[in-house]
Amino acid sequence: MKEIIFAGFGGQGVLTGGLIIAYMAANKDLNAVWMPAYGPTMRGGKANCVVKFAETSDERVGSPVMEQADILIAMNEPALDYLSFCKPGATVIANSSSVRSDYPFPEGTQVVFADCLGLARQVGNDKGQNLVAAAAAIKTCGLFDPDYAVATMCQFFEEKGKGKFNDLNVKAMQAGFDAV
Amino acid sequence: MAKKLWKGNEAVAEAAIRGGCNFFAGYPITPSTEVLEYLSWRMPQVDRVFIQAENEIASINMVSGASACGARALTATSGPGGSLKVEGMSYAARNSIPYVLLNVQRWGTGLGALESGQTDYFKEVKGGGHGDFKNIVYTPASVQELADVAYEAWDVAEKYRVGVTILTEAYLGQMMEEVEMPPFKDPVPRDWGIDGTGRFGLGKHSVMMRGPGGMALQGKVYAQIRAEMQRWEEYGLEDAEYVLVAFGLPGRVCMDAVKRMRSAGVKAGMIRPKLVWPFPEDAFKRVNPQVKGFASIESTDFGMLVEDVALCAKKYGFHVPVYCYAHGKGVPGVSKVTDFYHSMENGDVKEAF
Repeated sequence: MKEIIFAGFGGQGVLTGGLIIAYMAANKDLNAVWMPAYGPTMRGGKANCVVKFAETSDERVGSPVMEQADILIAMNEPALDYLSFCKPGATVIANSSSVRSDYPFPEGTQVVFADCLGLARQVGNDKGQNLVAAAAAIKTCGLFDPDYAVATMCQFFEEKGKGKFNDLNVKAMQAGFDAV
Repeated sequence: MAKKLWKGNEAVAEAAIRGGCNFFAGYPITPSTEVLEYLSWRMPQVDRVFIQAENEIASINMVSGASACGARALTATSGPGGSLKVEGMSYAARNSIPYVLLNVQRWGTGLGALESGQTDYFKEVKGGGHGDFKNIVYTPASVQELADVAYEAWDVAEKYRVGVTILTEAYLGQMMEEVEMPPFKDPVPRDWGIDGTGRFGLGKHSVMMRGPGGMALQGKVYAQIRAEMQRWEEYGLEDAEYVLVAFGLPGRVCMDAVKRMRSAGVKAGMIRPKLVWPFPEDAFKRVNPQVKGFASIESTDFGMLVEDVALCAKKYGFHVPVYCYAHGKGVPGVSKVTDFYHSMENGDVKEAF
């Protein structure tokens, strides 16, 4: 079982980012649960979601709530509060455009910095910073084959009627893969 | 059929439609609003009736009226909206009108909060309105189970001519999980109801129409439901030292916790009621006679489910402590459940009964 926390400010696409990862797992017939942070929220306020998915077709996700994450995708510094819900030795994908490089991470944490906003801007897709971050996590932790991840992401947006942005979204994911 | 990721609140709405729901009346309230929102466009698409009523009281009465005329009627609500509906639920029970009420629970008393909770347990299970009546109360623990019970709900409601409550939680309504959505089904035509011709009316099965002996006969209906609708999921009961009882999402977390404790050699057991009325009493017959205690794990503030656990423990002859972990709002995690289990083992927690 993999547990991933995707956290940041409302508007950074953390809920969609997590949902795409859940979709990638579900498309492989792996049991997946996506749980958004729930409560009164606003653009610019804190936002997060938890994704849990099975690694074999027999495995089922038990508890759907935040417990002991393997991976924390932190789009900003307040998101690092969720380190307390991470396993010792968890992997953190830290957005270097919002997280300082000398942040005091717990010992043993594997930290990978990626300039999610900067890279998304470089490919002309400001809103794609969540995809940069998701791609960085997918490659760093070997969650899915990159080609599968890109194709499934495109399918996800096509089903939502947003397929016309897929060229830009593919570029954002590619930037994430190349950054780590 | 292929599985697809569905949000709980949308899955339950779609499954209700496929199960034959052809009338919805409700009033929006968080965290159930997405049900109403989904049905607002989906019901007209399949040529069925959607009404956003002027308030909760009107909507439950519209549901009663529509059902009396043959519709498979649904209303959905949360928290204080549910309190407003109880008078209508009592009237529906008196007239033996089948309908489905979906309660996506928010936590708390009064206005409560938007957080998830299970604090409507007494309201839904112990009547909730004036008079002596029961609704069948489902407590699903996954989005698939939520869809499955919505699909079945009217078949059951019409079979026994009672109200059915689907008791879910804010988190279950919000979360997404893959679901195999069932096909559309055609309801069996009813042999009662008001159709404008005066042929049937509410019929001889209506409590109201039965006359003075009506309530006694209704007792037989409830007894039949108790016997026929015992449903639960269990784990490790045969040699359990302590048995946890939990429903909904806390039930799912407990099942996870119990399996993990078992793999570490701890003899934990688990009962997850799939319905809380009728309560799965039969599960208690399967518990290790040497069990040391029971515990309810629930997202309430002072313990509600624990009372039914204690009653069943007494009924089946277990003279052991019954503990309660009342988590309050949210859903307890696995570590909270295992910590509580170990505190029972160590005698660090006082029993509720």
